[in-house]
Amino acid sequence: MDDAGIRPSEVDGVVSDAGIMPNTVPAEFVAAHLGANRRFSCGSSFGGAGICAAPMLAEAALAGGHASVVVCYFGVDWGSAPSGPYGFHDAYPAKRTFEKPYGFIAQPSYFALWARRYLNRHPEALAAFAELAVLHSENAQKTTRSQLRNPTTLESYYNSPVVSDPLRVRDCCLISDGAGAFVMTSRSRARDCRKRPVHVLASALAAPPITGDDVFTQNGNLTELPGASEAMTAALSMANIDRSDLDFAQIYDCFTISCVLQLEGLGFCGEGEGASYVLDGHVRRNGRLPINTHGGLLAYSYRLGIEHVVEAVRQLRGEAGAGQLDDPQVGIVTGLSMPDYGVMVLGR
Amino acid sequence: MTEAPVNGTMAQEFRPFFEALAGGCISFPRCDTCGRFHWYPRYWCPYCGSVAIQWRKIDGRGTLYSWTTVHHAFSGDPPRPLPYIVGLVEFADAPGVRLITNIVGTDPARLFENMPLAPVISLTPQPTVAFEPVETASEVAHS
Repeated sequence: MDDAGIRPSEVDGVVSDAGIMPNTVPAEFVAAHLGANRRFSCGSSFGGAGICAAPMLAEAALAGGHASVVVCYFGVDWGSAPSGPYGFHDAYPAKRTFEKPYGFIAQPSYFALWARRYLNRHPEALAAFAELAVLHSENAQKTTRSQLRNPTTLESYYNSPVVSDPLRVRDCCLISDGAGAFVMTSRSRARDCRKRPVHVLASALAAPPITGDDVFTQNGNLTELPGASEAMTAALSMANIDRSDLDFAQIYDCFTISCVLQLEGLGFCGEGEGASYVLDGHVRRNGRLPINTHGGLLAYSYRLGIEHVVEAVRQLRGEAGAGQLDDPQVGIVTGLSMPDYGVMVLGR
Repeated sequence: MTEAPVNGTMAQEFRPFFEALAGGCISFPRCDTCGRFHWYPRYWCPYCGSVAIQWRKIDGRGTLYSWTTVHHAFSGDPPRPLPYIVGLVEFADAPGVRLITNIVGTDPARLFENMPLAPVISLTPQPTVAFEPVETASEVAHS
């Protein structure tokens, strides 16, 4: 609220995801702490896809006259909660019944099955995973806030313990406690805010008809992320831009493998070309498409994507300090919450 | 010889799998209307919407679709010896089904895509089915 220069009592809308926040930090709790009289609250999807879809709901509320100042928020305590991110999947009946007895309970194992299939077809991806781990660490070091303190080198990557083969510790995102929020309001109200507003050019969500139970094991050939292509196409069309207009992409890097698959799914390169795209340096800060300029989920923190939104805003306002890109005008934030996929386009 | 190995809180549509395992068989749900298998179990066919779901026993032999060797004890998981291998297995006589299981009786370095596998059913402490390489199975059979 302070960053926006808007009094908390002006807030009359509260938006978050529909999967995690309602059972942990619901809208009424946030509104009570702000001293806000709610006229609108709503949620969509969950986690990272949910925060990318949040502006869709906020915009609908603003356009429909249901709210004038909307706070969109998300947070997790998976860094200190006993079962962390793994407990989340206990909510899925088939996973609990048919997978848990075999020790298939954790996200690193899910994505390891995908990584194995991918590596069998594209062995160069092993080097791309290492490159991504190092690149995210380098970006994180440019902030003063990253959770990962020890820089990842190629040597330390290959020495990091294997979690679920072929994925090592440094192929996996961090586990964190933390939260974040952004404020949306009308163009006219934003004019006299404390800082220059950033414009939401698009907010899109796509999800194929498959359950969260099935999506990790039964979907296609396990190397195609559901929804990514559809959400990206919708977002670009909504924003009326092309991929080549993007100055950065804050991609949902829950794992190095999922980062590679998203580069393909989002259409930055062809199917099977994600590893080469990374190894050719295109995602570095001086490359064609700088990604996760703050170090992402792999090296900055794991707040499921709200930190990607905050970083995108910092970049567009020129507030990213040592990690600042050269005058970016437009960028995307993506969220992967299988089977849901969200894309947000932000511009100056 | 054994109690019906089903958990009282288990979803109704999941039970036939465990009832078949208790009888030493693997079975999967198949739609009588369109003829397709599906997994995980549903009340109606995800492809055509028919409620005419019949569970069909299969031969049990499968092939390895993907796998991971788990070296980490994830919080929330009961203690188990590390490392262990999680496999995703397909079946020629139940196309459209991929089963999560453990691969036993082999070394992770010997695994490969489409590796032929044979089932190893255990009824205690709960009915589960692991898989081992077909070569291992025949060695055991001949010993």
